[in-house]
Amino acid sequence: MEDRLRSIEDEALEAVAKAQDREAIEQIKVRFLGRKGLLTNILKGLGSLPKEERPKVGKHANQVKVKIEHAIKERLKSIKRQAGPRLIKGFDPTLPGRALPLGHLHPITQVLDEVCSVFERLGFSAAKGPEIELDFYNFEALNIPPDHPARDMQDTFYVDEKVLLRTHTSPIQVRTMEVMKPPIRIIAPGKVYRCDSDITHTPMFHQVEGLMVDRDVSFAHLKGILTHFAQEIFHRDTSVRFRPSFFPFTEPSAEIDIQCVICRGDGCRVCSQTGWLEVLGAGLVHPQVLRNVNIDPEEYSGFAFGLGIERIAMLKYGINDIRLFFDNDLRFLNQF
Amino acid sequence: MLVPSSWLREMVEIEAGDDDLAEALTLAGLEVEAVEPAYPWLNKSQVARISRVKTLDEERNLSVCTVETSSGEVVVVCGAPNVREGMLSAFVPPGTEMPDGKEVKEAKVFGVNSAGMLASEYELLLEGDSSGIFDIGARYPSARVGQSISEVTGIEDTVFEIGITPNRPDCLSILGVAREAAALFHSSPRSPEPGINGSKDLDSVSITIEAPELCTRYVGAEVDGVRVAPSPGWLARRLLACGVRPINNIVDVTNFVLLELGQPLHAFDLDTLKGQAIVVRTAKKGEKIVTLDGRERELSEGMLLICDGERPVAVAGVMGGLDTEVTEKTNNILIESAWFAPSSIRRTAKALKLPTEASYRFERGVDPKLQKKAALRAAKLIMELAGGSFRGVRDENPVPFTPWRVRFRPGRINRLLGTQIPSQEMVQILSRLGFQVEEKEGSFETVPPSFRADIKAEEDILEEVARCHGFSRIPTSSPVATLIVERPVSFRPFLNGVRREMKGQGFSEIISYSFIGPSELKNLNLKAEDERMKAVRLMNPLAEDQSIMRTSLVPCMLSTISRNIRRRNLNLALFEVGAVFIDQGQGVIPAEYQRYCAAMTGRRFPKSWAWPEREADFFDMKGAVENLLLSLGCRDYVFEPASANLVESFYEEGTQLNIRTGEGMVGTIGQVHLGVAKAFDISQKVFLADLSLDALSGAVTSGKVFAPLDRFPSVERDLSIILDDSVRAQEVLDFIQEKAAQGLVCFYIFDVYKGKQVPKGKKSLGIHFVYRAKDRTLSEEEVEAMHGPLQEAILKGFGGVLRG
Repeated sequence: MEDRLRSIEDEALEAVAKAQDREAIEQIKVRFLGRKGLLTNILKGLGSLPKEERPKVGKHANQVKVKIEHAIKERLKSIKRQAGPRLIKGFDPTLPGRALPLGHLHPITQVLDEVCSVFERLGFSAAKGPEIELDFYNFEALNIPPDHPARDMQDTFYVDEKVLLRTHTSPIQVRTMEVMKPPIRIIAPGKVYRCDSDITHTPMFHQVEGLMVDRDVSFAHLKGILTHFAQEIFHRDTSVRFRPSFFPFTEPSAEIDIQCVICRGDGCRVCSQTGWLEVLGAGLVHPQVLRNVNIDPEEYSGFAFGLGIERIAMLKYGINDIRLFFDNDLRFLNQF
Repeated sequence: MLVPSSWLREMVEIEAGDDDLAEALTLAGLEVEAVEPAYPWLNKSQVARISRVKTLDEERNLSVCTVETSSGEVVVVCGAPNVREGMLSAFVPPGTEMPDGKEVKEAKVFGVNSAGMLASEYELLLEGDSSGIFDIGARYPSARVGQSISEVTGIEDTVFEIGITPNRPDCLSILGVAREAAALFHSSPRSPEPGINGSKDLDSVSITIEAPELCTRYVGAEVDGVRVAPSPGWLARRLLACGVRPINNIVDVTNFVLLELGQPLHAFDLDTLKGQAIVVRTAKKGEKIVTLDGRERELSEGMLLICDGERPVAVAGVMGGLDTEVTEKTNNILIESAWFAPSSIRRTAKALKLPTEASYRFERGVDPKLQKKAALRAAKLIMELAGGSFRGVRDENPVPFTPWRVRFRPGRINRLLGTQIPSQEMVQILSRLGFQVEEKEGSFETVPPSFRADIKAEEDILEEVARCHGFSRIPTSSPVATLIVERPVSFRPFLNGVRREMKGQGFSEIISYSFIGPSELKNLNLKAEDERMKAVRLMNPLAEDQSIMRTSLVPCMLSTISRNIRRRNLNLALFEVGAVFIDQGQGVIPAEYQRYCAAMTGRRFPKSWAWPEREADFFDMKGAVENLLLSLGCRDYVFEPASANLVESFYEEGTQLNIRTGEGMVGTIGQVHLGVAKAFDISQKVFLADLSLDALSGAVTSGKVFAPLDRFPSVERDLSIILDDSVRAQEVLDFIQEKAAQGLVCFYIFDVYKGKQVPKGKKSLGIHFVYRAKDRTLSEEEVEAMHGPLQEAILKGFGGVLRG
């Protein structure tokens, strides 16, 4: 009888350990401890044992019962822990939430904000100017006289002989310097216009212009600021390359390439296998531009830069057709 | 500018490979945009064996050839007399662009599908004739099927495509690029020498410059007895690699020298010039000329012309005349090599819409010392290729070239660059670039070479030093600057506030073009005297539907909605913030206003288990605008039904509300007129708000003032009354406002009901009242003393009854 009890104990404890849910535990209870359970039967049958064995077997049987009950209790706790809280009948928390429709800011707005905020953290403040400009501010004050071939660099929409749609945000430089004295640190976002339309050009797009004028501002500083910018906007390890170029209102002028964000410099279709992507134009403010606004270039120097927001947005989001920005298809807008 | 590598390397010795050379040029400011094969048709064509020849059409001498190529057998129809079985010839696959600009295509010839062509040496621009297809085996016995023609012939080259910025016209020639490369690689350029006696005077033609300010120099050189013919292969290939089509040996030489040295030249058929004279003068009113392209050009006063004794024979620096062009019959030629004032050439080329290789260079500036050398070089080459003899040269130079000096201070250059470049290195850089440099008491003086008209001041020297020293070698450092600086007034925070609030309410932002079409504006049915009818018109729009600047955001919004609906995006809540423009007349910039437009159409909320489906309506739009106003801090606004003089034609009658603040009108909301919507091809109901952000920003009170929290509980009352349906909610609210006692701190309509239990023509209005005192808890009696009379007054005032 003692052996029988020991085997019941082993069997029960093993079954409890293997039980995965409440139901299995219930079955074990019935099987061992239920009214017709194996252990109950032994207790019931105590009467048929010799008298002297009864207390010993009875005591043992009770010990086994306590052990099994304890094991069941512990197992139930752990099953509960694994299963998490109980579900409530009729309440299905897995239904979708009652969410109000989400609004979206245009990707251009988002990138503009991101770009501006990098410079605002460095103490640059936003400035603005008219989108329909005088030829004077758009060209002449920027060292681009009439009949200058540099005008070919920007296909211009004209309103009349003197008035045009600004082709860049650079006129804001001039307008700002006309009314403010150095030190100047501004950032000027806005729409600009060029008569050009294909998969990589739209007749309207967005630029951000930056200008810093102070004593002893140098090209090394320009490199420092724009390298910081590129690494903030793209990736902390982005390599930046400065290449000589030409803008009539800066000298020296530079175009700034970043390491291709797609192939990380190995060469791919996006960067025409060069590993570099041109993202910025910049340079030291041309002394003539400073003289035009009565700032003495012997006393002050400065740098200016400009970048196209659509290009940055296309690189950041992998957009392959610039026209999508102004098509305003909801399926496009909802992705940002 | 297209620069073949082999040509460049003839003019400067450089050990670096093409890729390194391209990189060095790019980093010095001559951006190499592409490195491509020079003769792509030779790379694509291959040696093929003609395995079978079958006559197709005897009369036309056409045969069907089965050709073995690297990619298997191909059938080609061929008309060459020398085609024979077993022959190795040149197979050109379909899709190849040939030197004449035509693409080889798969074609059906007399019912036979011809998959490519067999080409002659002439067609491939190789040295050889056009009488039959290329007999490769005869010339290259070791040729194998599948080898490219460039491999077999060894004729192969790469072309650098270089973007030359407008300040560097001196690099618009092979010589110019060679000079740069030489400076970068510490080599020296080899400028070709004319090899002809330049002292022999030209006695046959007189040269008179009547406009020396526009033409400072005119060189004429004569070659007699030439034989005009096609150019040899090497010359034709070179021109083509540079993007210039070969024409004949004379014209090709002038183009060759233009590309080689950067001096545009023109060759006249001397015998067609009348009066044995060249006269350089400006055009008179009404003068005309037929240019080389066969088009008659009306010349305007002031355009610079080249004339003979009687008439214009060329538009100076732009294009020659048809009457005096070199033809197969030409015997004697006059080569023109001149210097024209850049802005004059630019104006003329623009006015005639005739940009040419010549005008491109003249308007940027040609080396003023180059004219005679270029004319003699061309004469020499012409004699080599077309025979003839040199008659003489005449150099009229009324305004001789004078060198100029530019001072620079190495200290200042280093300060502006943030570098410590020794002045000796600066001097070396400039010397390599052809500058003469002298030191004078701590500063330096340079004499730039004649071809560097862009070097005028110290900053130009600074740029030369910076780019040759290398931008990458300039340190990268952080500026140290004054932290607090003056800053401009910015509208951005306000605009961003508007955007954020609208986004929060589930609206998506659009950005549309600032230009629209006149028909879109017309669709709004504005009155003729409406300011918004004064749109700014572009002189050179890309298209009629982008020809005027928008005077309102509404047409942009409706076009956007229409486009979305067409693409089955039917449920829309959109907004835009942006500028509109009102014309103020010629020569002045238009008024520019910042505006806001929002619109809703279709379902208000996405389909959901959680709420019934519902279309967006007027009150959704109104609520969104109210939230916008409140969130911006504008509290004293009212929505009022539009009075007669402020009615917008693009709203459905009776749906328009005007939004007014203490500062005045800020905008309108309403349902878009069904007819206007239809004009934009929209058949859904659209609800729209159109606000002035200039006015709204003025109406926003800047400061927020804290009100102490209530210490005593409020007492609330609900009132349900049945009124005539014609009574407007606002009337009731205004009435209560007027009659209310001090203790009424808040009231609002919480229910509107029509239907069962309410008689027809009536409605039930539920109004909620909140009473509170600042200093004590109001008793029931006190509240009743206020609410009772108010309730009576409302009932009496509107003839209403309590709802039971």
